[in-house]
Amino acid sequence: MNKLFALGTALVTSTLCFSAQAAAPDDAQIAAIVVAANQVDINAGQLAKSKAESKDVKAFAERMVTDHTGVNKSAVDLVTRLNVKPEENETSRTLKSNGADTVKKLKALKGKAFDKAYVDNEVTYHQAVLDALDNTLIPNAKNEELKSLLVKVRPAFVAHLEHAKHIQSTLQ
Amino acid sequence: MAACRIATAILLAAWLCMGPDTNTAEPAKSTVHNVTIDAMKYLPDRLTVHAGDTVVWINKDLFPHTVTEVNGRFDSHEIKPNASWRYVAKKRGEFAYVCTLHPSMKGALLVE
Repeated sequence: MNKLFALGTALVTSTLCFSAQAAAPDDAQIAAIVVAANQVDINAGQLAKSKAESKDVKAFAERMVTDHTGVNKSAVDLVTRLNVKPEENETSRTLKSNGADTVKKLKALKGKAFDKAYVDNEVTYHQAVLDALDNTLIPNAKNEELKSLLVKVRPAFVAHLEHAKHIQSTLQ
Repeated sequence: MAACRIATAILLAAWLCMGPDTNTAEPAKSTVHNVTIDAMKYLPDRLTVHAGDTVVWINKDLFPHTVTEVNGRFDSHEIKPNASWRYVAKKRGEFAYVCTLHPSMKGALLVE
């Protein structure tokens, strides 16, 4: 129970970090945030692919790895073409560090407890990314192509959130 | 007389070149319809076609998707980004389909 509580605390912190960004990020910083956010979910998915007990959770994790890899590939292709070098910033660094903490905490769990913690994390994470897209990333993106890419990937985060919530309801 | 024979031969050759009787009714032409898959949606998400028409689902999204009829009538399996899947709609009826990878994606094909 303590482990789950600690994981939840880490996630809440991670969620707040998105909205606590003091200054509006520029395109180079947005690119770094997008890549970090996707990579964090790829890492958690890689772990869950091998460790989850439920078939549905495993399949969901596999989907997260594929889809977020797809988003990152497009993001990296675009910023390379635009000659924008992703610039690490407080949000991208916090995302990575919290993501590493989450993976560490998930590694300590097994069976149903792992599945529940992973899926709870996915619900919180996708909601946090959606909030960040709507409130920070899309409104501040200057380059039209970068903005379009963010708008294009938004429905994927909505679909993932719905999917995660559905699995969460079956794990109660 | 020779000129007459030549003219007859030319007319005969021209008739032969016309090929089969053009008055014969041709079967109705089948149409090709496109459905774009983008931003986690089938566009259009509801499509009406005639039996014998071809439907091509084109994946413009960043992720793989499937076009899977809910009762197993047809299944594209994974369509990778920038790939497409072609289906000849032979059987009449209404066919609801989903993406098995992203269950919130739904579409319908009506074959008249």
